[in-house]
Amino acid sequence: MVKLRFVKALTIIVIIAMVSVIAACSGGNDKNAAESSGTPSASDSPKASESPKETSEAPEENVTVKFGNFSGAGDTAKYLTQMQEAFEKEHPNIKIEIETIAYGDYFTQMQTRVAAGQAPDAYELNYENFVSYAKKGVLLDINPFFEATQFDKSTLNQQALNAFSADGTQYGMPGSFSNVLLIYNKELFAEANAELPTNDWTWKEFDDAAAKIRALDKNTFGVFQPIQFHEFYKLVQQNDGSLLNADKTAFTVNSPENVETLQRLVDRVLKSNVMPTQAQLSGVGDWDLFKAGRLGMIVTGVWAFSDFMQNVKFEWDVAVEPGNKKKATHFFSNGLVINKDSKVAEAAFEWIKFLSSSKEAAKIRVDAGWELPAVTYPDVLEAYLKTTPPANRQAVFDSLEFLVTPPVIEQFTEMADILGIHLTAASEGAKSAQEALDDAQKELTDKIKLQ
Amino acid sequence: MIRSRLIKPLLFYVFASILAIFALIPFFWMVSTSLKSKGALISIPIEWIPEKVSFEGYEKIFTVFPFAQAIFNSLFISVASTMLVLASALMAAYVFAKIEFKGREIVFTVFLATMMVPGQVTMIPVFLVLKEFQLLNSFTGLLLPTVFNPFAIFMLRQFIKTIHNDFVDAAFIDGASQPNIFLRIIVPLSMPIIATLGIVTFMGSWNDYFWPLIVLSDRDLMTLPLALSSLNGQYGSEYNTLMAGSLISMLPIIILYMFAQGFFKTGLQMGGIK
Amino acid sequence: MRNKRDRMKWLTIVLFLLPSTIGLLVFSIIPIFYSLIISFTDWNGLNPWNLAAGTPDFIGFGNFKAILEGEEFWRVLKNTMYYIVLYIPLILAASVLAAILLNNAYRAIGLYRVIFFIPVLTSWVAAALIWKWLLSDDYGPVNAILSFVAGIDGPAWLQDRTWAMPGIVFASIWKDMGFFALIMLGGLQAINPAYYEAAHIDGANFWKRFTRITIPLLSPMLFFVLIMCIINSFQLFPQVMIMTQDAGPYGSTQVMVERIYKFAFKYYKMGYASSFSWILFVIIFAFTAIQMKLQKKWVHYDS
Repeated sequence: MVKLRFVKALTIIVIIAMVSVIAACSGGNDKNAAESSGTPSASDSPKASESPKETSEAPEENVTVKFGNFSGAGDTAKYLTQMQEAFEKEHPNIKIEIETIAYGDYFTQMQTRVAAGQAPDAYELNYENFVSYAKKGVLLDINPFFEATQFDKSTLNQQALNAFSADGTQYGMPGSFSNVLLIYNKELFAEANAELPTNDWTWKEFDDAAAKIRALDKNTFGVFQPIQFHEFYKLVQQNDGSLLNADKTAFTVNSPENVETLQRLVDRVLKSNVMPTQAQLSGVGDWDLFKAGRLGMIVTGVWAFSDFMQNVKFEWDVAVEPGNKKKATHFFSNGLVINKDSKVAEAAFEWIKFLSSSKEAAKIRVDAGWELPAVTYPDVLEAYLKTTPPANRQAVFDSLEFLVTPPVIEQFTEMADILGIHLTAASEGAKSAQEALDDAQKELTDKIKLQ
Repeated sequence: MIRSRLIKPLLFYVFASILAIFALIPFFWMVSTSLKSKGALISIPIEWIPEKVSFEGYEKIFTVFPFAQAIFNSLFISVASTMLVLASALMAAYVFAKIEFKGREIVFTVFLATMMVPGQVTMIPVFLVLKEFQLLNSFTGLLLPTVFNPFAIFMLRQFIKTIHNDFVDAAFIDGASQPNIFLRIIVPLSMPIIATLGIVTFMGSWNDYFWPLIVLSDRDLMTLPLALSSLNGQYGSEYNTLMAGSLISMLPIIILYMFAQGFFKTGLQMGGIK
Repeated sequence: MRNKRDRMKWLTIVLFLLPSTIGLLVFSIIPIFYSLIISFTDWNGLNPWNLAAGTPDFIGFGNFKAILEGEEFWRVLKNTMYYIVLYIPLILAASVLAAILLNNAYRAIGLYRVIFFIPVLTSWVAAALIWKWLLSDDYGPVNAILSFVAGIDGPAWLQDRTWAMPGIVFASIWKDMGFFALIMLGGLQAINPAYYEAAHIDGANFWKRFTRITIPLLSPMLFFVLIMCIINSFQLFPQVMIMTQDAGPYGSTQVMVERIYKFAFKYYKMGYASSFSWILFVIIFAFTAIQMKLQKKWVHYDS
């Protein structure tokens, strides 16, 4: 009886739904047609896009550019506002409307909005997501703007600029960039009688120093360098390995070089224990461990500088991250892109150009210690170097020589998650390094389409 | 006799207190953490009572954030959504409980069946529907989808069913109209369950995170959970700030809940009358 | 007369059901079937629909096939079932106990009612932070209590493959107990005190009264709570996301909705995610139908 009722109920749902979906679809088409002919939707604030397409070419007309971002949140919001004010002064006819969304929520919200055709005119994307968006064709090619405004590309770091092109098309400009260094606690090094890191260090010196510091006492650890995807793709390159073959058509996750790399990482946790296990960390963050003076070395990004400058009570400095067969260091960059359907694309370009490459914006960034501007103005960089600690800020630029980018493919996040799970299995000792990477190789080959 | 008179309350207080401690320990830690200064956060062993009380966290949320605005937004949305849900669910529940008609059970089952669909399934389509009606980024767009609430309808129907038909029939004979019966008899008699549901709905709306995240994009429209989440994103390691924000966001519902206690009491008494 | 009354009745029915029905149609049924259509496509969730240009592509049952043939779905289903098996008995016991305690007329009862409800009012963001610490290995009070009371050296709950899910169950019980107790309390209050008085005169002790009167008369409410709990458990999500960020050590807390969310919003596979959620829906539907069948055996409806 009950079952019958459910079946009946379901049938009714199906019928109603069919009818209403059909009705909604046919109704929706008309509306879409109306919208694409330039009528702004009511949910945009009236000032936002009342100007039809042609007027954006007439600079006297006032336009509003909506700008979505995640990096100008919290403490850094005021610097973004400074940039906005400087820009609006220069371009009195362009008004910038900033929408800041916390990083954790950003891509979820951006995705729904892009899917609904409600994306902001210009927005920020991190490097990994940039490729997904670019390959799905929702971004605007900005090369024509480069040509029209005769943009001087040499004002930007070439590597950073190239990062935001896909399949030969420039889809974005670098907003900022950052890299990863070896940060160390000078006092623990002195206590342990270990030699301070230099730019020539390799894995061997690195691990020796870690062992010396670990020997100091039970609660002091030598190093923290998490066993996860983002470290791993870089570390295998230090050992001349890689996750994909050269033309990105096959995974090479379980190559001997990679297994050796993972083995070393696992040994640091389980064998020599110079790095704390998850249980030993017990929820204490890696930065907190360093700040508490219980960690000799930490491999982390330049974005830690402003926090460490304020909150670290002991002497600390930085060096280029040690490599093995060669050096390899991280490159992270947040790009600025333009929505393909933006009605104010030209103004949006002016804005991202300002954020990315203008001296004013770069200066605000440097003064604030808000990552690094991707610019090449010598005087701006000079100012960055002068700020201490760390004394060896030059290492930030020395590291640029060895930048490697993540193995970006369309299913990037999925790949990172799958490999991450197998890496954790190895780091817990549940599997050997070889087994873990064999399993990862198999699962990745099954699930990830390469070209 | 005397023994059992003593033992029963004793048992009650022992068990109730154990559960109460279980419920309160985390809350206590929240309060204590919110009153710590940044430096005291990672001390080991854990400080249950902060050595030095600091309001750093509280100052921070109000200075770096439009927190007051977020509180107002959340209040407005939660009150409005609770009213809407209660009104529409009460009407539907009354029909399902007291008015016989052909196909009633099937319609009711259709209503209930939708409860089984995970919210993530319908999220993007609802978003697209709202876009069609041009209701994105507005409180209306946030509120409208809450009008249909199968859980509330079910709870109310179960309760209204227990109201004796004699009341309804007597009123009918006196010539009262359906809306009259609804307003004069059903609604007053359902007050205990309305209070309970009111709290539950208010709370759901107050803590709802995913939906506002997707519908609202203006900072000025931001609700508390959005504010908290971006707080979490930006000051993830500053537990004092985070806990201060969480506590403030809990206060209004705790107060409301205490206030609604009165209705529960009448509920108790009515149980006795019936 | 009769006609007028009939018309009146139907007018009431239509008017009273109107708001809910419109809501049901526009915000539930249409979206549900929209998502069914999506589940037969390879939509990535980014490109606006343009059927003429083949965005997205209809791939028939391709997604469903891939899900059911893969190993992931079964693993995730197993994790979800593990949660349910642990969670359901515990939450039912805890919330009945709490409801019985709250169904007393002691002076402090109001206070207890507020206290029991506080976890329900806490947002998961805060609750998860607290529980991460409560369950931590060396400094966590849970392990401290375990070693004090039973001499057990507790695990690093959330970092351990075996114990991560029980840890999440523990936190969920803490969070949900007050809510279900409140619902059960409504059921208890609806029980006619005359039954208890009669039993008292017959000299029935507490346990007898509990098993012979409370449980049978509460059974419709218990049934309802059970169904709610099962549905909620299948839809388990926020605690997993916040307490064990990457779904726990070696994916041990990967559950259905967590996967759906990841596929839809992290991996840009909206079609795949929709298929996944339809499979989830079918499972929940089956479970509920079985419950409906079984209820005749133990649920007593007091007419």
